[in-house]
Amino acid sequence: MDFKDYYAVLGVSESASPEEIKKVYRKLARKYHPDVSKEENADEKFKDVGEAYEVLKDPEKRAEYDELKKYGARKDGSFQRPPGWESASGFGGGGYTEADPGQFSDFFEEIFGGGRRGGAGFGGQRHSMRMRGEDVHARLAMFLEEIVKGCERQVSFNVQEADANGRVVPRQKTLNVKIPAGMKEGQHIRLKGQGAPGVGGAENGDLFIEVEYAPHPHFTVQGSDILVTVPIAPWEAALGASVTVPTVGSKVNLKVPKGSSSGRKLRLKGKGLPGKHPGDQLVVLQIVMPEQHSEKAEELYRELAEAEKAFNPRSKLHV
Amino acid sequence: MTDKNRTVSVELTEPTVTFTLREVCERGGCHAEFVIKLVNYGVIAPVEESLEARLWLFDLQTLARLRKAQRLQRDLKMNIPGLAMSLELLDEVTEMRREVDRLNQQLQHFLDDS
Repeated sequence: MDFKDYYAVLGVSESASPEEIKKVYRKLARKYHPDVSKEENADEKFKDVGEAYEVLKDPEKRAEYDELKKYGARKDGSFQRPPGWESASGFGGGGYTEADPGQFSDFFEEIFGGGRRGGAGFGGQRHSMRMRGEDVHARLAMFLEEIVKGCERQVSFNVQEADANGRVVPRQKTLNVKIPAGMKEGQHIRLKGQGAPGVGGAENGDLFIEVEYAPHPHFTVQGSDILVTVPIAPWEAALGASVTVPTVGSKVNLKVPKGSSSGRKLRLKGKGLPGKHPGDQLVVLQIVMPEQHSEKAEELYRELAEAEKAFNPRSKLHV
Repeated sequence: MTDKNRTVSVELTEPTVTFTLREVCERGGCHAEFVIKLVNYGVIAPVEESLEARLWLFDLQTLARLRKAQRLQRDLKMNIPGLAMSLELLDEVTEMRREVDRLNQQLQHFLDDS
C-alpha cells in the first residue's frame, strides 16, 4: 500500500495551522468539485482533498497521522501499518462526518477504519433492514451518426454492492442499452432497476444515463439543426450549380443559387436531428480557389476583372 | 458475483417519466422542506406549477439538478440563495462551453476547407 501524503495533497506544510488547512481545503473543494470543475480527474482529486482534510482538520487524527508518517512511511513511498497500531480517535465507530467514507482510500481505511474491518455491526443489522438501492449516474458520449439513427451501446458503470461479509464494495456492471434516435445533449434516460441492488428485498436503484455529443469531423449541432460547411468553386458560386453535399450517414444533391457568396446558408428541411420537431441541415457555403490556375483561366480572370471593374468588394470598409 | 450482460430497451416515452415529491425525497435522502425551498427559489421546478406541493411532479432533468444541488450543499456548505445562484451560473457556463466548442469546431472546419 502506498503512503498518502495528506500535506502534499493539500499543498500545505506540516506545520500549517488549522486555519490555513481549512482555508486551503475550502479553495480546493471549490476548484475540484465534480459538479463545477472541468479538470481531468476532478472527481479523484476532490476525493483526495476531502480525505486529506478529514484527517488534518481533526487535531487527534492529525497527531496520529503525523506519528505514522514518521514511523510507518518507507523510503520507497510504500506503507505498512506498524504492528499493534490502533487508532484512538474512535473513527471506526461511526465518527465519520458528512463526507462519504465509502469513497476514501484503502490507506485511510487501514489507519482509521478499524471498527469497520470485519463488518460485525453492520452484518448483524442487515437482515432486518430494508433499503432501496442507490441510483447510479453515468455519462455516455455518442457519435452524431448514433444520435440520428439511434443505436445499441454498451454502458459500464460501478454500483456499490454488499459482498458475502456485508462489506460494501464497488462492482462493475455492463449493460447493452438501446438508445432511441434524436437524443438531445444533456438529456437523461432512465433504466429502471439497473442501479445498486436494494437491501432486504427492497427495490433496486435506477441507472440514469446523461447523453453527451462527441465532436464530429464535419458536422456540428445547433439545437436540433446540423451545420456543415461545404466548399464550392468560384464559378459554381457565380453561375449556380447542383452539388452533392454530405448528410449524416448519407448524401443529397443541393442546388446552389446563382450569385452565392461565401457564408450563405442553405436549409435542407428535415435533415437535422430527428424528433417531434425534426431539425434541418444547414449548409454553409464557402468559396475556395484551386491551388493553381491554368494560363487560360488566368486570361479569363483578367477578362472578368475588366468586365466587372465597377464592383468594389470592400465598399463596406469604406475603401 | 457474475457479470450479466442484458439488453435493456429504452422506450422513447421514458424521458417523460416523472416523480412525486415523496419519491424525489426518498431517492435523494433529503427532506421535503429542502425540495420545497429549492422550488420557491426557482432552482428547480415541477413539470406543472401547483400550489399544493403533494401534487408536484418532477422530470428526470429536475431530479438530476436536485442531486447536484444536494452535492453542492453538502460539499461546499452552501445555503439556498447561494445554491440558486451557483446553479444558474453553472448552467450558463455549460451553455457557453458548448457554444465555444461548437464555434471552435466550425472555425476548424472552415479553416480546414480553405
